[in-house]
Amino acid sequence: MCKSDNIYLPNLATIEAIVDETPDVRTLRLVFQDEQVRENFSFRAGQFAEYSSFGFGESTFCIASAPTRKGYIECCFRSVGRVTESLRRLEVGDTVGVRGPYGNSFPIEEFYGKSLVFIAGGIALPPLRTVIWNCLDLRDKFKDITIVYGARSEADLVYKHELKEWQERGDVRLVKCVDPGGAGPDFDGKVGFVPTVLEEAAPSAENTIALVCGPPIMIKFTLPVLERLGFTDDNIYTTLENRMKCGVGKCGRCNVGNVYVCKDGPVFTARQVKAMSQEF
Amino acid sequence: MPQIITEQNLRNLIDLLVKEAKLVVGPKLSGSVVLYEPLTAGSDLTLDALPRRSSKELFFPICEDILSYKRENGAMKVNDVDRSKFPETVLIGAPPCDAGSPAILDAVMSWDYKDEFYLERRRKSTIVGIACTKGDDACFCRAVGLAPDAEAGSDLFLTPLKDGSYACKAVTEKGQALVAAHKNLFAEGAGAEPVAFVDQAVEKLDLVKIKKWLEDHFEDPLWEKIADICVGCGACAFICPACHCFDINDEGSTDDGVRRKHWDACGFAKFTNHASGHNPRDVQNKRYRNRIMHKFKYYDDKFGKTLCTGCGRCIRACPVGIDIAEILETINTKHD
Repeated sequence: MCKSDNIYLPNLATIEAIVDETPDVRTLRLVFQDEQVRENFSFRAGQFAEYSSFGFGESTFCIASAPTRKGYIECCFRSVGRVTESLRRLEVGDTVGVRGPYGNSFPIEEFYGKSLVFIAGGIALPPLRTVIWNCLDLRDKFKDITIVYGARSEADLVYKHELKEWQERGDVRLVKCVDPGGAGPDFDGKVGFVPTVLEEAAPSAENTIALVCGPPIMIKFTLPVLERLGFTDDNIYTTLENRMKCGVGKCGRCNVGNVYVCKDGPVFTARQVKAMSQEF
Repeated sequence: MPQIITEQNLRNLIDLLVKEAKLVVGPKLSGSVVLYEPLTAGSDLTLDALPRRSSKELFFPICEDILSYKRENGAMKVNDVDRSKFPETVLIGAPPCDAGSPAILDAVMSWDYKDEFYLERRRKSTIVGIACTKGDDACFCRAVGLAPDAEAGSDLFLTPLKDGSYACKAVTEKGQALVAAHKNLFAEGAGAEPVAFVDQAVEKLDLVKIKKWLEDHFEDPLWEKIADICVGCGACAFICPACHCFDINDEGSTDDGVRRKHWDACGFAKFTNHASGHNPRDVQNKRYRNRIMHKFKYYDDKFGKTLCTGCGRCIRACPVGIDIAEILETINTKHD
């Protein structure tokens, strides 16, 4: 996107809107300052970017908005470290840096004519949300759409307003859940861990693609459930949100065996994940 | 036609290159240790010891600015680094284990996305390698397919002769140009006998076999056995000619500062730590395993090269005595 051949140079973007998803998770809506970049920036669902807070450095998050929504991008992050804390201190109108888009993406065109099951845990909904909206914006190209989303507690569920929207639109089956002990008195979802709730919801594997994103422990327990439901390894996709830094296959941080998550991923099929050294 | 340069003329060549405003870097006594440092005159060059750190920092500095940022009238401006100002550089007196490393690193720095900070320095540099007659018992370049007289990576290659002069071989066009521009310092002829090389403790290893073993033994008791003692200090990575992990951080205020790329190491505990606290390489032996795997399997998988020149620096520097050559020999003797 940059005219320079400096691969580390970010484009500048203005924070247009801020949504506090949970007490420590925030969504930023970003608009590129350069008109040409604004016009030409395109990405595919599943790709990520390096977001920078000047004076602190860069953090890696997926692009959480859908490629079908033009004119802005969104990122969603939890404040856990120096850079994310500093990003969280920024206000509407402030400037951030954005490098990207990087990595591969979900082959959405290959999913046309199929049903989709999205399975996410906690802060791992944003990498699937980009696909969810991408597919909802092309709703007639897909059959059934099921979303199984869980978090530790009700407060930890991100995109609460969108969960409600998905629940009410009538063409999506949303199964919300929280871990035991995480539900408030008015919680209208299920109580249980994501893999268990998924097994109970039992979406059909017939002509269906499963997309999973969550902490490694959740993925580890979800894959066997999907197998029991009849999903094959080629019909299960996940996105490995490993720790990354350069985003361009140089800095040596994100490899799982000989796979560079930033270049060969972050999107992989379960077959590819199983072929990797078990180091994630 | 082979050419010869006397030691005095080699030093004169350095003087001339310095006069030509080139950055000339070579082994130099710095306090009590020999390091690759800018030479101000031919007399600075010392060729009787392997420099403590490798010469990779000439192309891939310990820390370098990759951009600067400044808020002006309320608007943030990001400025690129002017790479055209990188100096024309001659690295002189690098043994094969150092002269050969940029040729290995070129692959990762130029695949797909091009790291112009590294590549611009490479374009502007000429490497004058020198056959190594100073090896010690930590050297194992032969084990990884190099040799004390390997020209790989050098533009001009010097071989020490018994009469104190050097046989010269222009390996690349850059090497030819360097000789052509200073013809009067070189004489034609074969010269005297070469100085004998030091025998190495580790002879050539079967890297294909080692790679195969690594492929099949991601989980193996060997890793705990050899690497539980690793303290994760990162010394091996920092002085290695081929390690190239880095981090990116800002230095300055929120209004004015620089973004910097600086060395990092996969042996550091937090290197792969996720924001969630999950760490895929949560114990030290897994981190050391990654170091070995990266050098002798992953890099070869990706780029068809071994990420090690056998310089032995990591063996000399390790505070707990981990010996990578010994590990390779151990793996080399394993039969499934």
